[in-house]
Amino acid sequence: MSERPSLWWIDWRLSRGPLVQETIGRFLFFCLLGFALLSLLLSGGVSRILADRYAITAMLRAEVPSSEAEGLARKAAALPPVRSATYRDPEAAWEEFLRAYPGLGPVRGAGENPLPGYIEIRIRPDRLTGADVDLVVSSLRSVPLIEHVLAGEVWLPRLLRAGRLASRACWGIFGAFLACFFLVGRLQERARAVALAGDFSFLAERGVPSGRLAFFRAAGAAVSGFLLAAAGTAAGGGALFLFLRMFPFLEGVVGPPSDLLLPRTVAAAALFSCGAALLSAAASVLGWRAARPGRK
Amino acid sequence: MIEGFRLGVFSRGTTLWDGLDFAFGDAAAWFVTGPPSSGKTLLLSILRGERRPDAGDVVVSGESLYRGNAALARAWRASCGHVPEQTIADARLTVGDLFRRSALAGGGVRESERKYRTDRLLEMVGLPGASGWRVAELSISERGRACLAAELLRGPKVLFCDCLVAGAGVLFWEMLWGLFRALAREGNTVILAERRIPERWALAAGNPEPVGPFRVYRLPDPAAEVKGEPG
Repeated sequence: MSERPSLWWIDWRLSRGPLVQETIGRFLFFCLLGFALLSLLLSGGVSRILADRYAITAMLRAEVPSSEAEGLARKAAALPPVRSATYRDPEAAWEEFLRAYPGLGPVRGAGENPLPGYIEIRIRPDRLTGADVDLVVSSLRSVPLIEHVLAGEVWLPRLLRAGRLASRACWGIFGAFLACFFLVGRLQERARAVALAGDFSFLAERGVPSGRLAFFRAAGAAVSGFLLAAAGTAAGGGALFLFLRMFPFLEGVVGPPSDLLLPRTVAAAALFSCGAALLSAAASVLGWRAARPGRK
Repeated sequence: MIEGFRLGVFSRGTTLWDGLDFAFGDAAAWFVTGPPSSGKTLLLSILRGERRPDAGDVVVSGESLYRGNAALARAWRASCGHVPEQTIADARLTVGDLFRRSALAGGGVRESERKYRTDRLLEMVGLPGASGWRVAELSISERGRACLAAELLRGPKVLFCDCLVAGAGVLFWEMLWGLFRALAREGNTVILAERRIPERWALAAGNPEPVGPFRVYRLPDPAAEVKGEPG
């Protein structure tokens, strides 16, 4: 026999029906995983929720003119961890105070506004860490125009720790689903290897090395795993995009739909597809080893 | 030339046979008979390079199958066809699957060519249009002939058949007789292992060579038969 047989997609050539069912199941699972992955990537776990609700308030001295305060807000906005810095003049501050505590209008007395202006600084979700908050706070405190900086230093570490734990829990659940995929995939590969054991020993008896069979099965599993994961993640991303467009309030939790096309999101999805390919190949090899056809 | 030197097999706690010498020339059909449980299937698997003998060696074209290069042994196995004594192992497949699998082992068989040759071969073994039939639904005779046709798809240089003739039934002996000799005439080697040889085949083959519990016949090629010279 001069030509070596091509063993690419050998499972597909030998047993199409069960493989089609498995492939459909894996695609749907990757759709769910892709949806979860992109949601986690965009939201950063619970970082976006925390960042949406946390703000540093820089109280200005009473005599600071508006133009200088706005310039200061622009400088604060230029700090790397800062998402936005907005100046509120004393009148806006008073109105906010009245909205929060209605009925305290007489405090103002003879027309003198007791509140100073302030700058509200919000941190980017991916930079909401103790170090970055410290960086912003220390930068603000060194400015003579600022009287106080309210950053919640007493409770912030606990909040950040809780946020980290919640994020890890989210990623842990995602990892558990990925592990489930691997275990179920391994069982499926093993069951298929057992079902095709007769065919594999037929090929082995006719000079096809078992190692080549295992290699090409794993290679086929890797390629199909990559393609399925990429397609599933794309479909999951599409579903997430539609969700965010249909329910805009979710943007506060997950993030804007435009973030789905950021290079880092795409790179993470590609990395996930590569990981799925590796897991598929490993499941194939382990399934093969568990059901290796015995040779006489 | 397939040669077995001083072959010995230890099986079931005893020596099944030992010190047997075989020599199967190329381009011929060989018939090995032996009583039940004499180790015919074992002998075929040893000659195919599937089972290392407990003593002795098998040499194919001057190369040892078991003490030589593993790649050569694989190449030898790739050049062999094997029709096993029928079991239920392939019951889940259809006849067409047998051909697909055989083509996979052979490589280089195009889909259209495979389908064309499948139809021709099935017709030749008396199973026209059987491609979609399930193996589980076939009789022993039909299974054997379907397996034989599937092996022939790859055009093996050496064909090993285990109890195929007995399983095929008297009705198909003429077809098999003609087929094996045609294969031999085209330069292939056929080795058949059976419990007994059909009487007419034995008459044509002449005196067998006794080797241990076996009797080895060489079926006459068509030219020799015309001249009345047993092989």
